[in-house]
Amino acid sequence: MPTWLFAIFALMAFIVPAHAEDIAEKATLCASCHGENGVPIDQTIPVIWGQNAGYLYVELRDFKRGARTDPIMSQMATGLSREDMMALAEYFSKKPWPNLGQKPADAATAERAQVIANSAQCSQCHLAGFLGASLVPRVSDQNHDYLLATLRAIRSGERGNNNWMTELMKAYSDQDMAALAAYLAGL
Amino acid sequence: MLLGNGMRVGLGATAALALGTCLATGALADETSNATLFGNMTAVSQDMLNRAGQDANNFLMTHGDYTQKRYFPNRQINTMNVRHLHPAWIFQTEVKETLETAPIIVNGVMYVTTAFDHVYALDARTGAEIWHYKQPLGPITVYCCGPNNRGVAVDGGMVYLATLDAKLVALDAKTGKVAWQSDIADPELGYSETMAPTAVDGKILIGTNGGEYGIRGFVKAFDAKTGKLLWTFNTIPENTVGEWATKDATGQDLHRDIAAEKAALAKLGDPFKKLGGGVWQNPSVDLANRRIYFVVGNPSPDLDGAPRPGDNLYTDSLVSVDLDTGKYVCHFQYIPHDVWDLDAVSATVLVDAKDQNGALVPAVLHAGKTGFVYVNDRKDCHLIRFSEAMVPQENMYALPTASPGTRMLPGANGGVEWSAMAVDPTLNLTYALNLHQPMHYSVKMADYPGGDKLWLGGAFTVIPEEEQWGNVTAVDYNTGKIRWQVKTPQPMIGGILATAGGLVFTGESNGFFKAYDSATGAELWRFQAGAGVNAPPSGYTVEGKEFIVVGAGGNAQVDSKRGNNIIAFTLD
Ligand code: HEC
Ligand code: HEC
Repeated sequence: MPTWLFAIFALMAFIVPAHAEDIAEKATLCASCHGENGVPIDQTIPVIWGQNAGYLYVELRDFKRGARTDPIMSQMATGLSREDMMALAEYFSKKPWPNLGQKPADAATAERAQVIANSAQCSQCHLAGFLGASLVPRVSDQNHDYLLATLRAIRSGERGNNNWMTELMKAYSDQDMAALAAYLAGL
Repeated sequence: MLLGNGMRVGLGATAALALGTCLATGALADETSNATLFGNMTAVSQDMLNRAGQDANNFLMTHGDYTQKRYFPNRQINTMNVRHLHPAWIFQTEVKETLETAPIIVNGVMYVTTAFDHVYALDARTGAEIWHYKQPLGPITVYCCGPNNRGVAVDGGMVYLATLDAKLVALDAKTGKVAWQSDIADPELGYSETMAPTAVDGKILIGTNGGEYGIRGFVKAFDAKTGKLLWTFNTIPENTVGEWATKDATGQDLHRDIAAEKAALAKLGDPFKKLGGGVWQNPSVDLANRRIYFVVGNPSPDLDGAPRPGDNLYTDSLVSVDLDTGKYVCHFQYIPHDVWDLDAVSATVLVDAKDQNGALVPAVLHAGKTGFVYVNDRKDCHLIRFSEAMVPQENMYALPTASPGTRMLPGANGGVEWSAMAVDPTLNLTYALNLHQPMHYSVKMADYPGGDKLWLGGAFTVIPEEEQWGNVTAVDYNTGKIRWQVKTPQPMIGGILATAGGLVFTGESNGFFKAYDSATGAELWRFQAGAGVNAPPSGYTVEGKEFIVVGAGGNAQVDSKRGNNIIAFTLD
């Protein structure tokens, strides 16, 4: 475990249970991983700035309920009330999506991804430009390594908070996942 | 312009008078933004609504009139001159996403909606904006198939909108200000609204989406003046078992394991609480008998029948209820115990059709995702006939299997999706828009995940190697025979309008908006709109000039090119 994690767990113990903390203060804790300016501190951590509020809320709730698990986020969410989660979701959704400077996928990769997107009807939910809305996340320009990891976790069921997405992803190979992650990250 | 009945003469005269005033004061058409010219005549009376089908000036309901024929009775634009049709104006909305609105026109004022529940009032002559309303949506909205809205209802001086967060909103037609707002249902449990409401006799009728989220569906009636709930009809009764039917309405085997279902029923009890049964489209209203007719969508979860033994009444069914009380009258189930999402979504249409003995009877039409047009008797809902299949049906009713699943046609979007039909009663033809999308259907047991997560019990995916296409099909509802059919390069979704000018108008995902000869299917005109034309067209007449209007904004479900255009066409 990297040292920054220890530091953060220590901080969490201090901040999270304090219910009356105002949201901006809670958000500073989040910034230690999700980024001061919205750019996460490493590639495996998702962008939450500018993400859709409904989705942010549901993920925090699912971490709290245990429907989605992650050693950090599950802990992080335990102390949050529904109001806290709604307020954090609202707060981060109002921030601008950061520029991660990820490169567009090459033509062959993009084409492979588009064939999958068409067959799985991704845009029916993720909408034009993969921007999502409400409970459906924006996935365009999301951190590449996070995308790849979460797509795989969805497919294996390890991320089990949406069995529809799990069922959908089962049809796709590792190379398909790689193409999707590269394509979405570069949008 | 058609001058047939007293009301239209009246309106024509007023319009002419208004035009006179306009010319006298030198005011040019496109200067009016506050609509003083027509703004005093925005109120819609019940009499106007009752006669909407013969009204060649206005387009007062999503599907034209209470029968939902989508038949516009003006013949100024017709087979002889349609080739001269050109845009009169294009209005660009603020929202560039999936556009399914059916424009409503009341005395020269047009109401259109966009994705995410915006409403615009426009001057129908010029496209000039009169007002713009945006529904402030809550953080949680749950919908399966795009943030769509299919339009408003009008009644009195109000405009009614149903929203993605399951609210019914009444707006002042003159100003766009909220008069009242009522909760239809709880969005966090998977309820949402994309359909347009129907206004009739002081009531606002509305169904619900949510068959993908384990809801219990309904049609509700609200008081048009106050927003108070008047009645609720649950599309899922408390006893949903039915008669253990092993065949669909057309006699095809559904491959049900009745013994296993009976055992499941003994163990689980009746599954009515989360059985789905959304209602996607406006009901038809039979004013003479004071009944409404509508179709009910799929059971939840879509692809997995195990947790829901029985016929799953009244999913995948035609249902009639009493307009005044919401009490059950009759039903007819097209597909008992559906595990393919081949449900009933396209709007019902009331016509007089020949029964088995050749006698004309009050009938109701519905186009299924199966690719059949069903003709039922309005008296007791029984099936009179079904049409020839409008699309290839292959391996139909093969049970879904574990991923990657079973190949079957039609795919889960149809046949006919929510796209309403149009009817030309002079030809006894109904026009349906079809999809051909070969799909894999897979099943995977899954517990109810809470109302804000999709609960399909599996997945359906388009088979990427296979060709997709669509068609426009004209069916003679007196015989069930296909009269003509035009193949389109992409699956069809949106809507169609028939006119007394011998035309049908419909759009395609590739941006073409076309006019066909309604008797023969010959293409007479086309226009490239630059974005998917996946919305139902409307017709109207202002100052003696006929217009055809349609939205070109693309569609989330078939992923056609997005845009934000409302385009009105006319002759010079
Ligand atoms: C110690 C680092 C860390 C901190 C602090 C942290 N997060 Fe996270 N967060 C992560 C990681 C790592 C993930 C990815 C988890 C996974 O892969 O499932 C994540 C995922 C999320 C997600 C899911 C995003 C998505 O796209 O699915 C949300 C929402 C989120 N965090 C919100 C917050 C909020 C709000 C805070 C502050 C209260 C916070 N996080 C604090 C590391 C952190
Ligand atoms: C039926 C709607 C639907 C379809 C189709 C769909 N998704 Fe999703 N997707 C969702 C929802 C809802 C979530 C949020 C899941 C949850 O509840 O955590 C999601 C989550 C995701 C995530 C995780 C995002 C994050 O921040 O963790 C990715 C990546 C994703 N989808 C990609 C895709 C791709 C690629 C396709 C097409 C191959 C697709 N989705 C098709 C609805 C859909």
